[in-house]
Amino acid sequence: MDDYLVSVLSNIGIISFVALSAYVLLLAGEVSFGQQAFFALGAYAAGIATAMLRWPLALALCLGVLVGALAAAAVGRATLRLSGLYFAMATLAFAEMMRIGFELFTWQVDVGGSLVGPNGPDGFGDIRYLFENEITPAQYMLVVYGLLAVVLAALLVLDRSRWGRVLRQAGADPVLAELQGIRVVRVRLVAAAAAGALAGLGGGLYAHLLTYVEPRNFDIMLGVHSLAYGLIGGLGTAFGPVLGVLIDIGLLESSRLFQGYRMIAFGGLVAVLLIARPRGLLDERAVHWISSRAKGLFDALAARRLDHPFRRR
Amino acid sequence: MLQVSDVETAYGKIKALKGVSLSAAKGRITCLLGPNGAGKTTLMYTIAGILRPLRGSIRLDGQEIAGLTSAAIVSRGLALVPENRLVFPQMSVKENLEAGAYRRKDAAGIAEDIARMYARFPRLQERREQLAGTLSGGEQQMLAVARALMSRPRILLMDEPSLGLAPMIVEEVFSIIKSLNRDGVTIFLVEQNAHMALGVAHHFYLMEQGRVTFSGEPGKLAEDEVIQRAYLGTRRASA
Amino acid sequence: MIDIIQNTVDGVMIGSSYALLALGFTLIFGTMRRLNLAYGPTIMAGAYLGTYAFLALDIGVLPVALLVVAGAAVAGLYVERLCFRPFGEGAAIASMISSFAVWMQIEEAASLALPHHLNAFPRLVSGQPITVGPFFFRLDHLAMLAVAAAAAALVHVVLHRTRFGLGVRTLIDHRRAAELVGVPVTHTLTLAFLLACAIGGLAGFLIAASEAQITPMFGMWATTKGLIAMMIGGLGSVPGAIMGGLALGVIEAQAQWLFGPQVRDLIAWGVLFAVLALWPGGLLGGRQVAEQQAVQRRV
Repeated sequence: MDDYLVSVLSNIGIISFVALSAYVLLLAGEVSFGQQAFFALGAYAAGIATAMLRWPLALALCLGVLVGALAAAAVGRATLRLSGLYFAMATLAFAEMMRIGFELFTWQVDVGGSLVGPNGPDGFGDIRYLFENEITPAQYMLVVYGLLAVVLAALLVLDRSRWGRVLRQAGADPVLAELQGIRVVRVRLVAAAAAGALAGLGGGLYAHLLTYVEPRNFDIMLGVHSLAYGLIGGLGTAFGPVLGVLIDIGLLESSRLFQGYRMIAFGGLVAVLLIARPRGLLDERAVHWISSRAKGLFDALAARRLDHPFRRR
Repeated sequence: MLQVSDVETAYGKIKALKGVSLSAAKGRITCLLGPNGAGKTTLMYTIAGILRPLRGSIRLDGQEIAGLTSAAIVSRGLALVPENRLVFPQMSVKENLEAGAYRRKDAAGIAEDIARMYARFPRLQERREQLAGTLSGGEQQMLAVARALMSRPRILLMDEPSLGLAPMIVEEVFSIIKSLNRDGVTIFLVEQNAHMALGVAHHFYLMEQGRVTFSGEPGKLAEDEVIQRAYLGTRRASA
Repeated sequence: MIDIIQNTVDGVMIGSSYALLALGFTLIFGTMRRLNLAYGPTIMAGAYLGTYAFLALDIGVLPVALLVVAGAAVAGLYVERLCFRPFGEGAAIASMISSFAVWMQIEEAASLALPHHLNAFPRLVSGQPITVGPFFFRLDHLAMLAVAAAAAALVHVVLHRTRFGLGVRTLIDHRRAAELVGVPVTHTLTLAFLLACAIGGLAGFLIAASEAQITPMFGMWATTKGLIAMMIGGLGSVPGAIMGGLALGVIEAQAQWLFGPQVRDLIAWGVLFAVLALWPGGLLGGRQVAEQQAVQRRV
């Protein structure tokens, strides 16, 4: 695999974490414009851990997850009784405050003769853990996709569990859910913390992939894009947001198919797609169709293997 | 005056009306009774043009109105006093009345009619600058009726006007219905309160599970049987 | 003390343009219960059309103003047809994301039309500031305040003295009831949307003319300023939008003078966050919280 492909694929994998983060909140019935804040927190925290405190990568990523989850839970406590646009704007306000906060945040230490650390609007460079520890881009890509696979598996298991149903119920009709004894605000708080953790993990991975982050990486564009990915790819399954990222970054940005007109093409495509499928390509209906097809196929295979000619297909 | 034939309306795949036919005669009070979920409100919204019927015909004085927009239907002289009243909560009583006359262009006539509404409903005059959302349930019901009358309808549809009101207020609402009818307004009324409704109706229909199951004049069917069916539906009543 | 008064005056003058931005935003949100993220970029499309004509044909400032307003309205029509009308009453999030997609389109189209980052824009008035005692007033800011106040008054008259305005007010208050009294909903929504974009276009013209320049960042800037002002004042409330715009202007002017531009933005967002956390309905709102939840359930 050439370097360009590896970097594009790693990028797709990492952005998928923020997209999934926005998706988890959408399932809980909240629209967030601000998941980039937890992505940024994860990036800075993990970067500080390896580059300044000389922690190992795994521990640094855990710190990113923890910081993301805690910050999201704290913001959630203050804002989750809001809903709709109020919540969306509160999350955006928080994210913009964080971004400007990072522009004002300078903390540098001497590491091996040079100053390392966040430096206000100039960003935070020299996060050189991969280079120092001789981890190749391809190896790092495997780390990214390994973690993404774990997250996806967890989300798919969750979707079939009682918890997943509770989450979707709280999102689809909070009043009805409340009547059924679901404590909607608490469910949403857990969802917000989990979403923060996912974004924090993605941020930690992102900082180490790029070795350099700056506050403007984490502006409203990233936030709305992450939301859009779920709606493009589909809200029916956790694969939806990943598909959304794949379509945008993989197909349009990286193929250079519409060079110079990429946004005009992408914007038009998304707008038309949403008219046809307001809940994305892999919406609940599509997922149901695919899974019933798969089940049919599976049953057919099982029937053949058992050699049971009268088994209902 | 109003003729509904074989109307079907669905929400997605679920049919709420499965071929409803009925009619409301000019100058009379026609009443539609039925248990919760029978499709009464769906029928009202379909007639008023808020919901589109899948098939069937709705005629007002012989003219087809099925499929027209609610705006066109109001212009043709049909007004609905909806379930739960739906006044404009953040607008004053007076503004609500003005909004009721939205389809009319005769400013002088509108002002005259507002004065007429105040004369008929003195409580509304007292509260004309108050926001409608702050009125009591009974006052809101009167405002909803007055607002509908502001379009000068030839036929007035009323969906559960007694819903959520104290018994004394319910009496008042029904005496208003009677007096409107005496003044020549044709009324098509949906009610849960079968006892009150049968007291004013000239003709009534019974609706169950999206179909009309009985039609007659009050008195023909024993009142308590009607009431039982209207509240509970045939199945559970006979079980 | 003198500085604080001067800042307040400056803030009100700048804030009058925020108030117009928020007024347009609130007309769209109030009637449709939809967030139009492409609102700022729509205005930018108008402003780019104006500056393009200004650079190419060297026309005067008033024709430029007309072009900006007309361009914003035409771009608004495109947004309404593509992002709002097809969705009807459902799918609020899909239509919001669709408006974001169109934002991306407009931003790229603007940079393709005028590849320079900075583009000159004609000034509305120029000249020495007027001084009154220790205070001074920039002429372009005074003009901005006057035009904005006139526009707001005109909108008030349209809303309260015309049938279209009555229809808009009923739609803001209760959509189903508006249908029942015979308001032609689709038609009124489209007109309200176009009116909002025209108001936004006027605000965009005033801002660009006082800065004497325009960049592709203007779309995002206008969307966020309009949103903050609208949310501070209370969603879907016309007086709230004006209050919110003026309040934002004053807060920014004071914060800029005290702490500089970076902290100014931090404080503006912080105020919004605090308002949302403490008074979820905004300064002049309140009722819409429950309604918003009803909308949310329909998504």
